[in-house]
Amino acid sequence: MSGDIAIRVRGLVTRFGAQTVHEGLDLDVRRGEILGVVGPSGCGKSVLLREIVGLQPATAGEISFPYLEAEGREPRVGVMFQDGALFSNLTVLENVEAPLREHTRLSPHLRREIAALKLAMAGLGKDAHHKRPAQISGGMRKRAAVARALALDPELLFLDEPTAGLDPIAAENFDRMTRELAKSLGLTVFLVTHDLDTLHAICDRVAVLYGGKVAAIGTIAEITAHAEGWVAEYFSGPRGRAAIRGVVGG
Amino acid sequence: MAVEAAFDFREDGAATVLALRGDWTVDTIAKLEQDLAAVALAGRPSAGAVVDVAQLGRIDVAGAYLVERTMRAALAEARMDVRGEHPTARRLFEAARRAYGGEVSEPQGLKGLTGFFDGVGRAVAAIKEEAVETIGFFGETLVVLARLLSDPRRIRWVSIVHSMEVAGLNAMPIVALLSFFIGMVVAYLGARILGDFGASVWTIELVAFSVLREFAVVITAVLLAGRTDSAFTAEIGAMKMRQEIDAMQVIGIDPMEALVAPRFIAMVVMTPILTFAAMMAGIAGGVLVAWGELGVSPHMFFARISETVPEQHFWVGMSKAPVFAMVLAIIGCKQGLSVGGDVASLGQRVTTSVVQSIFMVILLDAFFALWFLEMDW
Repeated sequence: MSGDIAIRVRGLVTRFGAQTVHEGLDLDVRRGEILGVVGPSGCGKSVLLREIVGLQPATAGEISFPYLEAEGREPRVGVMFQDGALFSNLTVLENVEAPLREHTRLSPHLRREIAALKLAMAGLGKDAHHKRPAQISGGMRKRAAVARALALDPELLFLDEPTAGLDPIAAENFDRMTRELAKSLGLTVFLVTHDLDTLHAICDRVAVLYGGKVAAIGTIAEITAHAEGWVAEYFSGPRGRAAIRGVVGG
Repeated sequence: MAVEAAFDFREDGAATVLALRGDWTVDTIAKLEQDLAAVALAGRPSAGAVVDVAQLGRIDVAGAYLVERTMRAALAEARMDVRGEHPTARRLFEAARRAYGGEVSEPQGLKGLTGFFDGVGRAVAAIKEEAVETIGFFGETLVVLARLLSDPRRIRWVSIVHSMEVAGLNAMPIVALLSFFIGMVVAYLGARILGDFGASVWTIELVAFSVLREFAVVITAVLLAGRTDSAFTAEIGAMKMRQEIDAMQVIGIDPMEALVAPRFIAMVVMTPILTFAAMMAGIAGGVLVAWGELGVSPHMFFARISETVPEQHFWVGMSKAPVFAMVLAIIGCKQGLSVGGDVASLGQRVTTSVVQSIFMVILLDAFFALWFLEMDW
């Protein structure tokens, strides 16, 4: 069974001074799935992401990557931060090349071609290659950030609010791209979002963080069937219902 | 663990077969690139090519792309067939083929000597532009100050006092300390060199003249350029980047009035005070050395200063302080407001700000020296 688990979190506790963010949080992310993580603002979604990728230590608890560890490989992660966090002094293409330059000994030519390929996969054409991050739109920045996250072909992809600040059409396209990439590259995706449409459209399962724990996890149908309290409110509010209708109707 | 990547090329009837072995991932393919290129160049004429993935370990997009590229070069238009069982290889070949968008272009732009001259030309043009803009900004600030004078309720006293503390008062210890050391150095020089002529007592005049007229005010201005002026640029620049300046304008707060004027006023008030402190500290440094090296007691030192050093030297030094203050405040705020949207421009503007202000301070000081000399002050 552990061969199917990509990320395992056990008994995670996070405290900032007197404030407790996570209180014994358990979570399993299965290999090859797209897991959406939702929860009220300030419930520690982004903190959880940062702890899993190793940017921030947890107060207590254990985070492991069972199937990668079983295969004797070190977990390599790709992260897309909220506003992309592209290096502003590099061009878009150089941004994607940066991880390759740092970690491989590919020839400059092949490196550049692979970077261009990753950009193309993320939906960015040649005209964006030599632009600076400040010269392209927010949606394109996010795509470039995904391309950079995928530069080293990680099997775990972390997306922090991928569709925040995008117009509905751009958000939908971005969702579709995420889904296609995840399926064609066999990625496990950990996706923090507030966007109900994204949850419905691309997530295999959804985890709801509430009160420092995973309050509910499963497909949206499973969660809404037994929802109560905040979770029920979240999914059955006007926005939640609209998003469900959109998927069922469309 | 990763298994080393390898491949075989063999003829199998009419087709050429590329058999892949080991892990073809971004970490392992670097070594293969050369070998594969050699194979591709060999150009094997055959009906078609087959990639055998039966022995293949793991593969990722980079590996798939390398295979794709090799076959594309070798086959031109012909199709690539995949033979053997593999969980992901076919999907990745397909993904790599679909996403391939042709050769990657080089960045546009002039290169070599032309590029160099282009850069020089732009830099020269930028100097003129900067100068005009800065003078314009100075005028704008004066207009805002005049408006504030006519309507004093709009003066932001809290901002002014805050700037005075951060930009002025907090700089006091470092300004005084540095000036103290400069005073000591000048006194040592005087004691050494004037001593050769048997005129070491003139060390007192040397210290008093140089510290009062030049060193105190220049040291203060240069330190403020490095410390306060850069902070002005960084603060205002960061606000510009985070669109706080835009927000102010939309709300109806004039950034010139809220950000520039208080800093300008604070600098004009604080720089003479700091200069005065620097003068005192510099002379104290001189006193210390004269006492230790020449045996001139502090009492004698001050008695001689009041006898032989006219008061006007003090005023010559002090008169420069508000001018330097204006230059620093204007350049610091102007560069801050010129910051663009990205981090690189913030760094560049802070650098420009410090370099420009130090340059202007020294240049103006030279003009002052000339002017005071001609006026015989």
